[in-house]
Amino acid sequence: MDKLMNKRPVLWLLGIGTPALLLAAWWLASAGSTDTFFPPLADIVDRFRALWLFDHFGSDVLVSLRNLVLGYAIAALAAVAVGFVTALAAPVRWAVDPLIHFLRGIPPVALVPIFISLMGFGPEMRVASIALAAFFPTFIATVDGLRAVDRGLLDVAQVYRLSRRDRVVAVLLPAASPQIFSGLQVSLQTAFVVMIASEMLGPSRGIGAMTLLAQQSFMISDMWSGILLLGVIGFAANFLFDLVRRKVLAWYIGSRRLARAS
Amino acid sequence: MRTSFKPLAAGVGGVAAALLLWQAASGARAAGGSLPSVGSVATDLGALAGSPDFWSALAQTVGIALLGLAASGLGGIVVGILVGSFEPVRYATRAALEFLKPIPPIVILPLVVLILGPTGQMSWFLVFLGCLLPIVMQTVDGVHSTDPVARDTARSYGMKPVEILVRIVLPSAMPYIGTAMRVSAPAALIITVVAGLLGGGPGLGQSLYLAQAGGDYPTLYALVIVLGILGLLFQLGTRVAERRLLHWHESYREVAH
Amino acid sequence: MRTTETAPITTTDTPVVPEPPRLDVVHLAKSYGSSSQKGDGGKKVIEDLTFSVGAGEVVCIVGPSGVGKTTLLKCLAGLQPASSGYAAIDGRTISGPPPEMALVFQDYSRSLMPWLTVRKNVILPLRHLRLAKAELKARCDEALEAVGLSHAENQYPWQLSGGMQQRVAIARALAYRPEILIMDEPFASVDAQTRFDLEDLCLRIREDFGMTILVVTHDIDEAVYLADRVVVLGSKPARVLRVVDVDLPSPRDQISTRALPEFAEQRTEVLALIKRPA
Repeated sequence: MDKLMNKRPVLWLLGIGTPALLLAAWWLASAGSTDTFFPPLADIVDRFRALWLFDHFGSDVLVSLRNLVLGYAIAALAAVAVGFVTALAAPVRWAVDPLIHFLRGIPPVALVPIFISLMGFGPEMRVASIALAAFFPTFIATVDGLRAVDRGLLDVAQVYRLSRRDRVVAVLLPAASPQIFSGLQVSLQTAFVVMIASEMLGPSRGIGAMTLLAQQSFMISDMWSGILLLGVIGFAANFLFDLVRRKVLAWYIGSRRLARAS
Repeated sequence: MRTSFKPLAAGVGGVAAALLLWQAASGARAAGGSLPSVGSVATDLGALAGSPDFWSALAQTVGIALLGLAASGLGGIVVGILVGSFEPVRYATRAALEFLKPIPPIVILPLVVLILGPTGQMSWFLVFLGCLLPIVMQTVDGVHSTDPVARDTARSYGMKPVEILVRIVLPSAMPYIGTAMRVSAPAALIITVVAGLLGGGPGLGQSLYLAQAGGDYPTLYALVIVLGILGLLFQLGTRVAERRLLHWHESYREVAH
Repeated sequence: MRTTETAPITTTDTPVVPEPPRLDVVHLAKSYGSSSQKGDGGKKVIEDLTFSVGAGEVVCIVGPSGVGKTTLLKCLAGLQPASSGYAAIDGRTISGPPPEMALVFQDYSRSLMPWLTVRKNVILPLRHLRLAKAELKARCDEALEAVGLSHAENQYPWQLSGGMQQRVAIARALAYRPEILIMDEPFASVDAQTRFDLEDLCLRIREDFGMTILVVTHDIDEAVYLADRVVVLGSKPARVLRVVDVDLPSPRDQISTRALPEFAEQRTEVLALIKRPA
């Protein structure tokens, strides 16, 4: 018992301490580094502050984030809506099934050159690329989720003569929400990748463009700071998403935990 | 019979409608005439099929993806077993792994290109890095989920640690590893294309870039169609492989739902 | 609160079907497979069912498992069309879920919405009725009170035991204020004590709300205990073997009623019918 009590805090300390230690080691080991590829961490942090928090905040950071949010939001809304129509109307499902299967096989990034050819290098191209690429994971998850809704729940909705609106909002949507959310999570990652890819092709603005430009012009600290920023955004987006998911799916997470425990 | 005919007809109809729509849009010179006609793309697909360059690019893409996947599978399983077998190591690495997990490999593409240049080596290394983390984390989970009773029993029978690892721990982690590999295989293909398109690595990604930069739109569309088929084959192939290799596992269904 | 004198229905000693029947099942048949073409081709589940349920009656349907009882209920609830024959409420043929009917399903875990609290589950069917707020609250409170779950109204169904979940399903049906309540093996998967409680709850509902109740069960004791009449089904396909009038004094009591010699006689009669080779 005593041994167990003593072990926990040590393990947690390890969990928090190790990353901190690694960062400190990076800082110390790179201090005064003259290696072209691995500049001092202090320099990277300096450039990070100068570039992203001041010079390019409005012109690039916000632009990137706006494209990401806009494209993702369009994709999420459209995917759930089209998913509903597809899942609930069998003929529509039959008609789009082969197309969807083919389109989901295309690497999302490969859509970017096509959109460039159609729309040029403007922000519309970026938002469209992000939206289309992020559409499929959520769409497929929505259709699968709706098709897996328990027959029993649908019978209840019918016997109690729920209105169409109640049936969709209070039964179908929540019943499919666990699957919809896992689709939305994949879509978020796809949107993020396509956001970067759409900025790295051709002349453009945004964090991805700046980072690639820094690499090509051998401003290594700038490139590192771009990588750092993109990493932080990737993590933060996923973290925020998880917060929302935990809130919305509290009933699902709770019931699963209970089912596992018994 | 009659019931399966309708979906088939509707599916064919859907594809036909999409092609018609495409043809009409290109005929109307939508988007400034940059949308090639169905016919020209089909002709270009035929031309690609007769071009040795295309086949070597295809082979390179598949080769790089599979090589990177194999490397990350091997490395990921080894690292995952090490991390998963020692409680302190598991705790020490968890925060770092959780932080890195949602960050896609495209983020470090500039750095990898900087160091390795626009080469095949760069491409497979990026694939390796991109697939490594999910495999490590799944393996850790798999090792951690080993039934402690089975482990204790094995120990009480005097099995050596290595024997326990091979006979008890590894088999119970297999479904987790299988799932990780299934998810990673399509990702490997995607990363290979990204490395070619944005980093100049060899293969179809680079062909895609050249077609776009050169304004050769029919080829661009033909390549995307090829990539779509390739992506489907990757998904299909890994699913079949997983089923073949893991069908014996009792908990396979449970984990891989 | 639950004295027998307040009961609006007259329970006479001689079991006479009160006229006219609320629920009428006439030559109902159901087969799966080829619903468009009549006759052969499909799998016959229900052969030819004819029985009726009078206003304020409790009628139980018993029969061997897999006899098609659930299919029958689905036809009654308007979830599935009959292949031939019909079921009618007050003379109107049922073609979709009737507004005066509520159904308590067998599998409570698949009939309650796991994302809604107990209270919200009870309210869900009332939403489209456009009731006044006070009325909505009163109905919900009363229903939860009746099943003894007022304290659990803010919990989720999956946090409750099986018996409590089935009580939530019953409360949902009560708040809906149906004139006809149909229950499909409602107490099949709860423990014995809870089962007795729920059976008595069912009888009390009839007294307090004056509902007409149809219960499908495979438990013969339960059927005899609950019912004014027991419809005994034979398999397969399902048909009515006999309608047994249950002649037991009211109010019924788990201990004294079940100890009556008449109780044993009635259950033996039903059991003999079911056991008899078809």
